[in-house]
Amino acid sequence: MKINEKDLMSGLFLILIAAVGLWLNQEHTLGSARRMGPGYMPLMVFWLQIGLGAIVLLASIFSDGEKLTRWTSAEIASFVGGIAVGTAVWWVLKSTGGFFGQTYNAVGTGMLAGFLVLSIPQGWRILGVINAAMCLFGLLLEKMGFFAALVGIIVLSCLAEREHLKKPVGILGCTVFLLVMCWFVFIKQLDIRVNLWPQL
Amino acid sequence: MELLLTNLAHGFGVALSFQNLTFALLGALIGTAIGVLPGIGPVATISLLLPITFGLPATTAIIMLAGIFYGAQYGGSTTAILLNLPGEVSSVVTTLEGYKMARNGRAGAALATAAIGSFFAGTVGTVLVAASGPLLTQVALSFGPADYFSLMLLGLIIASVLAQGSVVKAIGMVVFGVALGLVGTDVQTGQQRFTFGIPELSDGIGFVPVAMGMFGIAEIVLNLERPEARSVLTNKVGSLWLTKEEFRRATPAVLRGTVVGSFLGILPGGGASLAAFGSYMMERKMSKGRDQFGSGAIEGVAGPEAANNAAAQTSFIPLLTLGIPSNAVMALMVGALIIQGIQPGPRMVEAQPDLFWGLIASMWVGNLMLLVINLPLIGMWVKLLQVPYKYLYPAILVFCSIGVYSLNNNVFDVYMTVLFSVFGYMCNKLRLEAAPLLIGFVLGPMMEEHLRRAMLLSRGDPMVFLQRPISATMLGIGFIALALMLLPSLRKGKDSALAE
Repeated sequence: MKINEKDLMSGLFLILIAAVGLWLNQEHTLGSARRMGPGYMPLMVFWLQIGLGAIVLLASIFSDGEKLTRWTSAEIASFVGGIAVGTAVWWVLKSTGGFFGQTYNAVGTGMLAGFLVLSIPQGWRILGVINAAMCLFGLLLEKMGFFAALVGIIVLSCLAEREHLKKPVGILGCTVFLLVMCWFVFIKQLDIRVNLWPQL
Repeated sequence: MELLLTNLAHGFGVALSFQNLTFALLGALIGTAIGVLPGIGPVATISLLLPITFGLPATTAIIMLAGIFYGAQYGGSTTAILLNLPGEVSSVVTTLEGYKMARNGRAGAALATAAIGSFFAGTVGTVLVAASGPLLTQVALSFGPADYFSLMLLGLIIASVLAQGSVVKAIGMVVFGVALGLVGTDVQTGQQRFTFGIPELSDGIGFVPVAMGMFGIAEIVLNLERPEARSVLTNKVGSLWLTKEEFRRATPAVLRGTVVGSFLGILPGGGASLAAFGSYMMERKMSKGRDQFGSGAIEGVAGPEAANNAAAQTSFIPLLTLGIPSNAVMALMVGALIIQGIQPGPRMVEAQPDLFWGLIASMWVGNLMLLVINLPLIGMWVKLLQVPYKYLYPAILVFCSIGVYSLNNNVFDVYMTVLFSVFGYMCNKLRLEAAPLLIGFVLGPMMEEHLRRAMLLSRGDPMVFLQRPISATMLGIGFIALALMLLPSLRKGKDSALAE
C-alpha cells in the first residue's frame, strides 16, 4: 500500500500536540459564548487542529509521496539516549545547590548533554552539535563571561563542519575574528549588559 | 492630493534626518548582503536584528528593518544572474533567464535591468502605499471587532492557500501557530495558560525565539546537511549598459511586472516570490521575445525583478493600514512595532505620522540608495559571494545567540530558541511550512481578543459575523479561496508556479 509517510507523521504530530493541549486546557474555565473564559479559544483551536490533523492523516493513507529517511539503529539509540541522558542530568542537577541550582543552568546542562549524545551518529551530528553549541553559550555566558561563552559556541559549532576538522587553523581564525567583531558590535557599539570576564 | 503632498513632504523630512538616513543605508547594505549570500534570508536576519532595534527610536528601527527586506530583493538577483543560485526565494525565476544572459556575455545588462526595473517598480510601489494608505485607513476605522476577526481569518486562509505544498497542512500550521500564541497570561482574567509555572512564559512565548529558531538556527543545520553547492564564478560582469534593442524590450516587461507585483503584494500571503512567478508566467505568454525564453530573454529578468520589488513595497499596505501582516517578514514587523510599544493598525497614521510617512518616504530613498549600492558597487558584492559558508555559519549562530540573549538578558530565551530550532528542523523534514505558523502566532492573540469582544457585543450570537456586511464579505472571499483550492486543476497550477 502506498502511504505518504511525511503527511502521516505530520497528521499524527498535529493530533498529538492538540490532544495534549486539550488535556492541559481542562484546568481553564470555559465560560459561555457570550463571555468567553480563558479556556474557550484554546478549546476551539485545539479541536480544529485535531480535525485538520485527521484530514492530513486520512489523506496520507490514500496518496503516494516522499518516503521518510529510515533511521539507522545508531540514530534511534542516540535519539532515545539523548532524551534519557538529558532528562537524567537535569533531574540530578536541579536539586543540587550552587551553580546548577541557579536560573536555568540545570536545564541547560541537561540539554547540552542530550544534544551531545544525539550528535554521536553521522545523521544527527550537525543538528546535535549546532544546538549543543547554543546551549553551551547559554551555560557559560553569565558565569564565565561573554568571551568564554563566545569561544565555547564558536569552537563547538565549527566541529559541525568536516572541513574545519581537517584544518583547525580555520577555527582559530574564525574565533579570533568573531571575538573582535562581537566585542566591537555588541559591547562597544550596542553596549549590551553582560559580564565580559568570569565571575568567581 | 495636496494633503498627500504635505504628508509626503513631512515624511521626507523625517526620512532625510541624518540618523534615519544612516540606518536606511545600513538596512539597505545588510539587505543586499544577505540577499547576495545564499542560505540566509530576510526573515532570519530581521529576527536576528529585532533585539538590537530595541535601543533605537521606533521610526528608525522600522526604516532599517524595511530596508533589509527590500534590499534583499535587489541582492538576490545578483547571485541568481551570476551564479545560477537564487540568493533569495523570490529570485528563483531570475535564474532562468538571467543566468542564460550571463552565459551569453550579457551579465552586466541583466544586472542593470534587474536594478533599474526594481527601482522603477519600487518607486511605483511606494507611491501606491502613500496614496492608498490613508484611504484604506479611513475604511479600516469603521471596522468593528467582528470585521477584524473575519479579516484576520481571511488573511490566515489566504496565507495558507498560497503556501507551498498541501493547503490542509498549512492551515494546520496556522492553527498550531494560533495555539502557541495563546500561551501566557489571559488578558481578561489574568489566568495563566499553558505556562507550566515558568515565570518567563507568563508574557507569552517570545516572538524572537520562535522566528530565530525556526528560520535562523534550523536553516543553518539544513544548509550544513546539504553539501555546499560550489559554483565557480566564471561569468564576467561586462558592460552595464543596455543596447537600444534590449532597452526597448525590457521597458514594457518592467511596466507589466510592476502592475502584477503591486497587486500580488497586497494580497495576504502573497509577497515577493509569488509576484516574481506571476510576472514570469505572464512574460512567457505575452512578451514579444517569448520565443527566446529559455535562452536568455531580457523580459524574463526585467518583469520578475520589477514584480518582486513592487510586491515588497505594497505588502506594507495591509500592515500599515490594518495592522495585519501579509507574510512572514511583515509578521516580524508587527513584532518590531509591538516591542516598541506601538499597536499596528489603522490608528497608526494619526498617532504615529512620523513613523507612517517617514517609512514611506524612506522606502523611496532606500530604493535610490540600492540602485547606487548595486550598480556601481557590483564588484564588492561579487567578492562577498566568495566567502565560504563554513566561515559564515558560526558568525550567524553567534549573532543569533547574543541577539536573543540581549532581548531580556535572560538565558531562558537562548534555550527556547534551541527548542524551536529542533522543531523547525522537524517541520522541514515533514514538509510542514514554518511561515504560516509564524503568521498564525502573531495574529492569534489579536484574533482571540476581537472574537471575545465581538461575541460580547452580540450577546453570544455567532451570526454577527454574517450580519455585518464587511465581515460577511471577508468570510465569503475566504470560503471561495478555500473552495477554489479544492479544484484539482487550480491546485496543479499553483504547485507548478510555486515549485522551487
